[in-house]
Amino acid sequence: MAQNGRIRVAVDAMGGDYAPGEIVKGAMLAARKDDVEIFLVGAPDVLEKELAKHKFTANGSPIHIVGAGDFIKENESPVDVVRRKPNCSVAVAAKMVKSGEADALLSAGSSGAAAISAIQFIGMLDGVYRPAIVGSLGSFAANTVMVDLGANVDCKPHQFLTFAIAGSVYAKKFLNIADPKIALLSTGGEETKGSEAVREAYSLLKNSGLNFIGNIEGSDILSGKANVIVCDGFVGNVLLKFYESIGAYAQVWTERKLKKYLPLRALVRLLFKGLFPATKISSETEKQGGGILWGVDGVVKIAHGASRAPQIANAIESAKEAVKAGVVESLKLELAKFNQGGKL
Amino acid sequence: MSIEEQVKDILARITRVDKNIITREATFKEIKADSLDVVQALVAVEETFGIEIPDEEAQKFQNFGDFVSYVEDRVAQKEKV
Repeated sequence: MAQNGRIRVAVDAMGGDYAPGEIVKGAMLAARKDDVEIFLVGAPDVLEKELAKHKFTANGSPIHIVGAGDFIKENESPVDVVRRKPNCSVAVAAKMVKSGEADALLSAGSSGAAAISAIQFIGMLDGVYRPAIVGSLGSFAANTVMVDLGANVDCKPHQFLTFAIAGSVYAKKFLNIADPKIALLSTGGEETKGSEAVREAYSLLKNSGLNFIGNIEGSDILSGKANVIVCDGFVGNVLLKFYESIGAYAQVWTERKLKKYLPLRALVRLLFKGLFPATKISSETEKQGGGILWGVDGVVKIAHGASRAPQIANAIESAKEAVKAGVVESLKLELAKFNQGGKL
Repeated sequence: MSIEEQVKDILARITRVDKNIITREATFKEIKADSLDVVQALVAVEETFGIEIPDEEAQKFQNFGDFVSYVEDRVAQKEKV
């Protein structure tokens, strides 16, 4: 935190489908609140031009430009950040978190590049191999979070344990659940079900001391049986995107069924928009402005690539809240218990 | 500690696999090292031994033995200079 009490967010201004224009605009929206300082990291001349469009004046402003010589394009391998482009915008932003010049990093660029920058330049918490994305399932299952939502496509068994710990901290912090019930997502309830990694993870979770309730199947995701559902990032990401699409498709399907009854179609549209929670999931995700990478030794927020200024402002706000809530310190404390027991 | 042991330690720490599975014949796939693990290992080895491993050389490594032999050669060359 800066001496003036403001939270300092380093923003990868060159990353995102609408970068740098919408990122700069989003930063300006977020800077309307007086508890934040924003460092736009990228090509100074480009960023200055963008800021000039909004009649920006540097004097006393909470927005600063930090120069970075390069940036990662969407078609480039994220691994290039480490050896070929260690001074690209997202890497420079990550280094600012590591050095203490910033409290959080936000990127709407390649999520792989952001994750790799975080791993390489900020570092992982003790016991964590790779970061994970934890997310709430929204209105349908208000007391359930899922982890990993896409950061790790292939997982080693011990990663499931760190996912469970991260999910548990999230549920305690943001859902106020004292002792979250943790389940492993699999193809059956029995210990012998699932991939090799999932079966090995079962045994690790069973002996972890966490409130592990065993495997659950896809049909139980929304049942509320578990507060934390653990899966690899491949399954998590496929499910998340499917889940977010259900509301819109259900609305279209219902309207088609009722096409002969025009007044009913209008009513359906109203009902779906106002009452049916699935259609709200996407907007809830937008409100959060993406996800936090859990397991990194600093707050790293990954926004959707297609984020526009309002989503960027939301993401900055949410990164700020994560810093204030001390999510990294909480996870560090929780992990220490497992590290001491030699379980990680 | 030998160069091989030091490189093995680095790789085991990064991939979090049992050191015993890292034999000279083991491929990176067998060590369960993905592309990021390999890149992190290259950076860590470069920093540890003060050498550079160009990408085009790294791409030729078929197994852990190739990696270690290259590092041993580069360290020997460095010591000669």
